[in-house]
Amino acid sequence: MTAWLLRRLAASVAIVFAVLTLTFVLIHLAPGTPFLPSTDDRSVGPEIIARLRRQYGLDRPLPVQYLKYIGSVAHGEFGESFSQHRPVAQALADAVPNTVLLGIAALVIEFTLGIALGAYQAARARRRVDAALSHLTLFFYSVPTFWLGLALLLVFGQWLRWLPVGGVSDPIVHDTLPWAGRVFDTLRHLVLPACTLGLVGAAGTARYQRAAMLEVIHQDYIRTARAKGLSERRVLLRHALRNAVLPVITLLGLSLPFLLTGAVLVETVFSWPGMGKLAADAIFSRDYPVVTAAAILAAAMVALSSVVADLLTALADPRVRLGDGDAA
Amino acid sequence: MRTRVVVGVLVAVVAAAACGRRVGCTGEYCGTLVIAAPGEPDILLPPASDDARAAAVFDQVFVKLADLGPSGNTIGDAGFVPELAEKWEWDNPRTLTFHLNAAARWHDGRPVRAEDVAFTFDVNTDPAVNSPARASLARVRRVTTRDSLTVVFHFSEAYPEMFYDAVHHLRILPAHLLRTVPRDQFRTAAIGRAPVGAGCYRFVEWRAGQSLELAADSTCFLGRPHIRRLVWRFTPDPTVAVTQLLAGEADVFEYLSPPDLERVRTAGDLVTYPYAGPYYTFLVFNLRTRGDTTLPHPLFADREIRRALTLATDRQQMVQSVFAGLAKVPPGPMPLLWATWDSTLRVLPFDSAAAGRLLGARGWRDHDGDGVRDKDGQKLAFELLTPTTSVIRRQYARLLQEQFRRVGVAVEITEVDNNVMTQRLETGNFDAALMSRIADPSPTSSVALVWLAGGGSNYSHYDNPVFAEAYARATGATTRQASMYGWRAVFQQLIDDAPGIWLYSQQSVAAMHRRVADVRLRPDAPYALARTWRIPPDRLIDRDRVERR
Repeated sequence: MTAWLLRRLAASVAIVFAVLTLTFVLIHLAPGTPFLPSTDDRSVGPEIIARLRRQYGLDRPLPVQYLKYIGSVAHGEFGESFSQHRPVAQALADAVPNTVLLGIAALVIEFTLGIALGAYQAARARRRVDAALSHLTLFFYSVPTFWLGLALLLVFGQWLRWLPVGGVSDPIVHDTLPWAGRVFDTLRHLVLPACTLGLVGAAGTARYQRAAMLEVIHQDYIRTARAKGLSERRVLLRHALRNAVLPVITLLGLSLPFLLTGAVLVETVFSWPGMGKLAADAIFSRDYPVVTAAAILAAAMVALSSVVADLLTALADPRVRLGDGDAA
Repeated sequence: MRTRVVVGVLVAVVAAAACGRRVGCTGEYCGTLVIAAPGEPDILLPPASDDARAAAVFDQVFVKLADLGPSGNTIGDAGFVPELAEKWEWDNPRTLTFHLNAAARWHDGRPVRAEDVAFTFDVNTDPAVNSPARASLARVRRVTTRDSLTVVFHFSEAYPEMFYDAVHHLRILPAHLLRTVPRDQFRTAAIGRAPVGAGCYRFVEWRAGQSLELAADSTCFLGRPHIRRLVWRFTPDPTVAVTQLLAGEADVFEYLSPPDLERVRTAGDLVTYPYAGPYYTFLVFNLRTRGDTTLPHPLFADREIRRALTLATDRQQMVQSVFAGLAKVPPGPMPLLWATWDSTLRVLPFDSAAAGRLLGARGWRDHDGDGVRDKDGQKLAFELLTPTTSVIRRQYARLLQEQFRRVGVAVEITEVDNNVMTQRLETGNFDAALMSRIADPSPTSSVALVWLAGGGSNYSHYDNPVFAEAYARATGATTRQASMYGWRAVFQQLIDDAPGIWLYSQQSVAAMHRRVADVRLRPDAPYALARTWRIPPDRLIDRDRVERR
């Protein structure tokens, strides 16, 4: 187990390093250059751009810049943002907690709702309710994330005014509230973006869970459980669902990249200041240090969550032995 | 049992949240104005930023010596409104003396003094700082202090906009806080994220990506602001910003697009305020060979081809179909904001038949019958560059493509992100491009930048000595009338030479909640007069009354 864990962690470091290198090279080779103003604004002037490029070491050959950057990252320094005029670490420190909060909330919705729906459909397979839910999940699975976000925003934010239309908290009231009020305020702001991300994911998980459950439900041990006289509820929840949920755990690790990429649009629609928005803005302004640091962080998060998903699978399924070749 | 515990905890949280609000303020000075802002400032230090979003905050936190008055006049000192300087006089035509208001205080309590003004000038003209004001201060030789409340501007020459240059571009900085900051590190100075100024609002908090809050300075020497709190709520998308407004989570949005204007008009608690916009958009021709700025462009070096394409463009029809009354066709490269807008200029009308004749006369005919004119084996075809970020310019690119097709000109549209577009413009790697500009209240700097030889944004490489002479006459005119006459000659030359096709100048429309009263918007800076707006006591809502901890 320890050897497996060390191997996986070493592999994760290699992946992160590869992502760093690829991102660094690609963003530097992409057309466009930092420090250029929008064509709508005043011209900065070539001499000023040259000075800024010198100041940030962009006038040196790419391999030299790369080695210097690797050295800085090894010391835990990600440089300074070209567009925000502050350390990259500070920009990330502002954005990461928001993305993690949104990601966790979306994951909870995705898996709780997805597993529950899938199990419910399997228990009522080929009935009208199953067909209706299949259509519903297919709809949510197909719908673009930003469209769903805008629709929820319009209905619950603008028309009904039940929930705030954006931000992570109320800028006027939040600080005046006691801690419980602040938690409640944050949760209110979290509902719509988390539901947007979570619902789309839940639709996929539900379809996956339904298929897994239907496969398990026809196994001999389920028939045995029923023959023993256990209630249908107990058979489904204790025996069938526990085994059918194993493949879905693997989805957990695979969901993270989707959450990170899907978050770019959701963060834009809901003015949620997270990593996705930070990275997208940085790409448009060719803010190399922010782009590379965000890619490193995203790669690290995905690699680590993949390890965690494998660990969870092993914990849930006694047949899986970590270290014997690889995880299931 | 477990369900009951969960429900109980939730109820307790909701109750605590509901009871937690401390609602207090009543009276004339309680308003909170929430501004929906599509985008966030880069840094809050005037010499380090040329960002329009930052400028809206600067207008509240920092003061100028004097500011533009309601007339928007930029010639001489008539109509300017005193700010930090309570009065001024001309010692001679090249020496201007300002007397500062002794009551002015920095937000840390220290008095504002003449040395702060001299320091501000020094910072703004330092190449290491690269202030956007630097070019406009080129003719100010030095700034000296006579005593702690008297500051003297010495100009190298007398010219009509010397007062405007001295006051409009300088937001006074606190010397005691910035003197120790190395000049090449102004862009990363900590004070740039927590500014200290002498304006009527002081900085409270900037939550990156979320909001920025200012609080009224009740002792402000310009008068106590009625609205006690200004909050910018950042959102990356203008449509979402308008949704915040419609949902009652924001009070004002300054720049409505045509579709958003329709959404706002149906909301009963919002009022719209049209004002002359600072934006104008045009198709710029590259007069030099694509990628080699030393050679003439094979098509657009020919003035008659540029004029023919202008004649082939039905600009009026395009403005009507795209903007529904929210924009006008400019006679030349100018926004609605400028006083130099002159409808009597001789413009090239829409006349596709004349365009066809002109192209035919230059030898461009459709010899092979493929619908595209050609000459000596070369097709009359070019690439039109447009940014992906602008829906309206992308729409215009398609409309232009169709209009040019009708006169036998083929256009290939290339959409690129803003950064790539700027890079291609800067390197001359384009045939034609759709450009927008945000202009200052005066045409002086903008026209020089875009159309004079050597101008930083003269991407067309337009260079006509007759135009340069007309520009020198216009900017050197000593009376308003002479200046207007001069500018007429400048724009007429541009219209005749057609280095671009002037497509549209947008009318800006702000939307604001009805509860905000005494609203006056200055076209060049919509929030510049926010300190005079108010929210009457009978129109206060919950968020106005909330007290900060």
